[in-house]
Amino acid sequence: MLAPSFILLFALTLYPLIFAVRNAFFYWNLQTSPTPQMFVGLDNFKNAFTFTPFMASLRNTLLIAFIGIIIEITIGMFIALALSAKMPYLTFVRALLIMPTTIAPIIVGFMFRYMYWDVTGLIPWIAKTLHIPEPGAGYLGSTGTALPAILLADIWQWTPFFAIVLYAAIVSVDSEMIEAARVDGAGGIRVVWSIILPTIKPVMVVIVLLQFMKLFNIFDLVYVLTRGGPGDSTMTLSYSLFQQGLVNFNIGVAAAMTIMIVAILNILVFIYTKFVMKGAKLS
Amino acid sequence: MNIGLNLTKEGLLRRKSVAASTALVFLTSSVLIGVGGNSSAQAAADCANKTLQLLSVGDPFEYALKEVLPQFTAETGIKVNLESLDNQTLSSRLATAFVTKKSDLDVVTVDNIWVGQYYDNGWILSLNDLIKANKDVDLKDMVPGVLYSISEWRGQFVGLPMAPYAQGVMYRTDVYKSLGIKTPAAGWTWDEYLANARKINGKTVNGKKMYGTVIVGKQPVPIVHMYTQLMAGQGARWFKKFPEAPWDFTPTLASKQNIRAATMYRDLYKVSPKEAISFDWFAAGMRFADGDIGQMYWWTPYFYLVQNKGYMSGKPSPIVGKYAIADLPSEKGKPANISTGGWQLSIPSTAECPEESFKLVKWVNSAKAQKAMAKVDKYGTQFSDFGRYSNLRDPELVKMYPYLPKLEKMLEAGNGKVSRPGMQIYPALEGVYGLQLNKILLGADVKKTLTETNSLFSNLLGGNMLLPYKGKSYDDTLQATKDLIASLS
Repeated sequence: MLAPSFILLFALTLYPLIFAVRNAFFYWNLQTSPTPQMFVGLDNFKNAFTFTPFMASLRNTLLIAFIGIIIEITIGMFIALALSAKMPYLTFVRALLIMPTTIAPIIVGFMFRYMYWDVTGLIPWIAKTLHIPEPGAGYLGSTGTALPAILLADIWQWTPFFAIVLYAAIVSVDSEMIEAARVDGAGGIRVVWSIILPTIKPVMVVIVLLQFMKLFNIFDLVYVLTRGGPGDSTMTLSYSLFQQGLVNFNIGVAAAMTIMIVAILNILVFIYTKFVMKGAKLS
Repeated sequence: MNIGLNLTKEGLLRRKSVAASTALVFLTSSVLIGVGGNSSAQAAADCANKTLQLLSVGDPFEYALKEVLPQFTAETGIKVNLESLDNQTLSSRLATAFVTKKSDLDVVTVDNIWVGQYYDNGWILSLNDLIKANKDVDLKDMVPGVLYSISEWRGQFVGLPMAPYAQGVMYRTDVYKSLGIKTPAAGWTWDEYLANARKINGKTVNGKKMYGTVIVGKQPVPIVHMYTQLMAGQGARWFKKFPEAPWDFTPTLASKQNIRAATMYRDLYKVSPKEAISFDWFAAGMRFADGDIGQMYWWTPYFYLVQNKGYMSGKPSPIVGKYAIADLPSEKGKPANISTGGWQLSIPSTAECPEESFKLVKWVNSAKAQKAMAKVDKYGTQFSDFGRYSNLRDPELVKMYPYLPKLEKMLEAGNGKVSRPGMQIYPALEGVYGLQLNKILLGADVKKTLTETNSLFSNLLGGNMLLPYKGKSYDDTLQATKDLIASLS
C-alpha cells in the first residue's frame, strides 16, 4: 500500500533533490555544454561566493524576512483586534481585506512599479503632499529606499492575510474567560496580553513560519521592481539563483546555491521549531 | 573439382536457410526502401504544408514584421506563426528548448551576443551552404561590418540580419543653438561630448530646465549596452586577445582606458536625471523624447522611436523637428569602434524543414521585405534598421528616414565583437559587469571596482574552463568576413 506513495514522493521530491546535489559537484554550464562535463568537488560552492553576490543576497533576504514578519504580524494583529471589536460593515471589510492576497505577486509588483513612478506615481505624490523628500534617483533607484519599497509591496499584500487568520483565532477565544477578566478589572491591554495572545499563540507560530519561508524565497517583487538593483541593494537569494540558473545557465553553481539556501532555511526553521514551537506546545 | 555444391541434407537445409534469410533481407530492404521513399515524399509534402513557427524578440521591428508576413505567405504559400517574447524570456526559452531537443521552432531571432553559445553548442545551423545555393541572397549588398558583427561565428554565417543596430548621437538642435554650442562635427571627442553635456545641464531653454544627457543605469544588462560603447570608444577591451587569434580571455577591465571610460560614464550620470540609475533601454530613450535632455548616444532604432511620445504610441513627441543625428565621438587617433548589435534570423538545428525555414530567413533579409517593413505606418513609420546598401541608399527611404546616410557610415565603422564580444559565456560576464558598473554610478571607487570586476571575471572564466583558453581559436576579423562573403557570393 505504501509503495505507490513512496514512488510518488521519490519522483516529486527526492529525485530532483538528488539530481541537484549531484549537479552541485559537477561543472555544468548550458552555455558551454548541454551535459555535465566533469566532477569539480566543492568548486561550485566556492564559486557561489567568488562570482555571485551570495552574501549580499543573504543579507537582504534575512532583512526582508525578519523585518517583513515583524511588521506584518504587528499590523495584522491590530487589524484583527479592530475587526473583533464588532465594527460595522464587518463582512464588507473582511472581503476587502482578503483581496490583496488573491492577486498574483507579479501583478502587485507591476502595480507598485507604477505607484512608485516619479512622474505620475501615487506614492511620490503622497510623499510630496506630506513634504517628505523623495530621493533624487526615485524610491526604486536609491539604495536607501529600494529594499523598503519592495518590503512595502509585500506588507500591503500579506498583512491582510495575517489579519484574517488572527481574527479567526481571536473569535475562537473563550468569551467567558475575557468577561471574567474584565470583571476582575483587567483593561484592554491586559486582556490582549494575558488572554488573547497566549490563546492564539499556536496559530501565530504557524503563520509566522509559513510567511517567513515565503519571504525567504521572495522573487517576483524583486524581478519586477528592481532586478536586484541599484547595485546589489535588493538582490535576494531567489533572484541570484534565478540569475545563475536561468540567465547565466550555470547549472552547477545554481545547484550549489540551492543546497546552501535549503540548508540555511532548514537551520533557521529548526531553531524556530526547537525554541518557539516548543514553547507553543506544537512540537 | 569441388565447386562447393553440397547435396547433403544439412547442406540443403543450410542453403534453404540462407535463401530464406536472403529473401527476408531483400523483402525487408524493399519494404524499408519503399517506406523510406514514401516517408521522404511524405516529409516533403509535410514541409510544403507546414506552418513555420517563428519565435521573435519583442523589439520595435516586430511590429513591422508582423504586418509584412502575410506578403511572404502570399508569395510562397508558406504560413508563419509569429510569437514574440521579451529578451530575457526568449533567451531562457530558447536555451531550454535547445537543450531538451524538444524544439518545435523553425526560425528564431538570435541576438548577436548569443551566436558563440548557440553555434558552439550545435543549437543553430550554419547557413553557408544554403547561402551559396541561393545567389539571390545577394550578400554583397550587405554592409560587411553588419554581417561580421551580428551573423558570423568561426567562419560560418549562423543567421541573416533582420534588424542590425549601431550607436550614434542624438542632440537637440534648438538647445545647442540657444546655448551657442558648436554643432558636433566629424572627429569630435568624448571630452567634447561631456563638455557639451555640462554646458547644457541645469540651463533653462524654452521654459524647460535641461539635463545635459541621459545615461542608462539599470543593471545588469541595459547599463552594459550603453557603457560598452564608451568603453570601446576609449580603446578599452574586455580580454587580452579576442576576436583575433589566438584567443586569450584574460580580462583587461582594470586598464587605464577602461578606468577613464568608467570615470567619464559616472561624470555623464552626474549631468543626467538622478533616476537614470534605474533606466533601461526604453526608459532612457523615451526620456530624450520627453524634451528635457540635451543630447544622448544610443542604439539607432531610437533615432525614429523618439519621434513618438511613449513607445509605439503613434503620437508625436515634443522634440519632433528639434533634434539631429551626429556621429559618435572618438578618441584622437583611435577608431570609434561603433557598437553594432541587433537581431538576425537563424534556423534551429532541430528544425524539421530547414529549406522552408531558409525561405523565410532569406525573404525577411531581402531588400524588398525590409523596405516593406520600413513603410509600415501603423504606429507612424517605425523601421529603418537596414543592413543592405540598397535600402540605406534608396531615395524613397532616405526621404522617410533622412539619417540613413549617417547610419550607413555608422554600420560600416561598426565592430560589435570589440564592444560586446559574444563568446560562449558572455551573458554571465555581462551580468557581473552590469552590477559592478551600477555600483560605480552609486559612488564606488572606479579603480577599485574595476579591479574587483577583473577578479570576478577571472573567477568566472576560470570556473568555466575558459582561462587559460585551451579551445580552438578563430582569427575573427572583418577581412575574414569579407573573404567569406566573396567565397559565398
